[in-house]
Amino acid sequence: MNLGDERIAAAPLPTSRTIRLRTFVPYQLWRFLRINLRMVAMIRKGDH
Amino acid sequence: MARVVILGAGVSGHTAALHLKRLLGKRHEVLVVAPNADWNWIPSNIWVGVGRMTTKDVTFPLAPVYRRKGITFRQAKAVAIWPEGDTVDPLPTVEVVHTSPGRAGEVERISYDYLINATGPRLNFGATPGLGPDGNSLSVCTPAHAEQAAAELGKVIERLRAGEPQRLVIGVGHGTCTCEGAAFEYAFNVEHELRAHGVRDLAEVVYLTNEYELGDFGVGGMVFEQQGFLSSSQLWTESLFRERDVHAILRAHVERVEPGKLYYETLDGVQDSLAFDFAMLLPPFRGQELAAYDRTGENITDRLFAPNGFLKVDADYSAKPFEQWRAGDWPSTYQSPSYANLFAVGIAFAPPHPISVPRKSPAGTVISPAPPRTGMPSGVMGRQVARSIAAMLTAGAQTPTHTASMAAMGAACIASAGTGLRHGTAAAMTMYPVVPDYVRFPGTGRSVKDTYGEVGLAAHWVKHLLHFLFIYKAKALPGWRLIPE
Repeated sequence: MNLGDERIAAAPLPTSRTIRLRTFVPYQLWRFLRINLRMVAMIRKGDH
Repeated sequence: MARVVILGAGVSGHTAALHLKRLLGKRHEVLVVAPNADWNWIPSNIWVGVGRMTTKDVTFPLAPVYRRKGITFRQAKAVAIWPEGDTVDPLPTVEVVHTSPGRAGEVERISYDYLINATGPRLNFGATPGLGPDGNSLSVCTPAHAEQAAAELGKVIERLRAGEPQRLVIGVGHGTCTCEGAAFEYAFNVEHELRAHGVRDLAEVVYLTNEYELGDFGVGGMVFEQQGFLSSSQLWTESLFRERDVHAILRAHVERVEPGKLYYETLDGVQDSLAFDFAMLLPPFRGQELAAYDRTGENITDRLFAPNGFLKVDADYSAKPFEQWRAGDWPSTYQSPSYANLFAVGIAFAPPHPISVPRKSPAGTVISPAPPRTGMPSGVMGRQVARSIAAMLTAGAQTPTHTASMAAMGAACIASAGTGLRHGTAAAMTMYPVVPDYVRFPGTGRSVKDTYGEVGLAAHWVKHLLHFLFIYKAKALPGWRLIPE
């Protein structure tokens, strides 16, 4: 097993709830809004 | 009437051209020189590479847009700059060779008052023997490359359906590559496609990278705050690899690619090889082949350009160890120190040093990512340089009025991990600043509040939305300037 695979084997796995939430549309609509707000904040920081 | 010439019509050059025309109107001429007839939204090439989009979906012809906006367009490749003119005419000029079907090979000298070099990268497949579509591996750097990769992926899926195990190697083809994020995206989109076709069980997906750790992405990794803990992009990325059963070879420099087999060296000096059935390996980048001459005809390329072919701007290029790197080393105005009317934006400017820690193998091979400077930062640079030049032309400003240092701007990055409006996923990341500033943000180099990442369907929606928004903006359709860079 190489170094990369050793590290990957020790990485935490998401719970089944986390995996479900990743494609649960009502929750993802909320995350969509949050991601866009964060991106707008980034855009403002780049405006000089 | 002054003339502003822009070399290149990628994200940074095209953005600069649209903003310059908006700011200068009919009082001055804006002229774009680009070798390709079409504009390409490169981030979506990965979807062409898995057959989910076509070249037509990610490109459009530039000429009609420039005609409508009153921007002069030359489909040509710049080959030399004469920033002092020559002994006959002191006007600065750029020498171009036409590439359009009707004028291919024709040489023209175009005078300029201001010049923006936005020529982007030269895809340096030649750095690794056998690398690239003309050799023994695939690429998704251009729509044509991506279409070829999609066709080869289709053959792999057919062989898997026939019960033949396949190894797919996706990553970077040299120790000094950049754009690890694109390789990451393609690896996970391919993995997603294999599952979607019901052939994942016989396929081994291997991500091969020059990164020291997963999640480095050429920006030295990121630190996020999650549920009261400071967590790293490394842990987050490794978790995704485990969940999706993608293998990884880290700290690798590909030495050569033979048909069905690649040879690589790792940072600890080990030489190894890997057989493959499908390999998409990104090339390292160099600056475009652009020479510079002074008024007498003496070659001054070495004075204007760094050895890697990128144009030197207002950065601190003095050689110093990693411990002495500072955020202030990075350029802010993108003005050449040699000529006040010469600028470079996007990939075309020479970065002062990498962002990730530089490392060499015992044999002296550099195995660490070059700094990314694409996407959002490129667009911001194009806009800010356009504003500076407009102020110099119309308001008499003596020096650039606008800045866009990567050490003072944030960036948002959406890395697709599989397409589909209901089952797609992507990793959304924001970071501030792009170049870590350990004086302002001790320990992490970045604002923990503004640096974050999450995986989910929403991030895929954002990436899909950005595809349409940026193509709309690049077409300069009504309201284009309201869409930020």
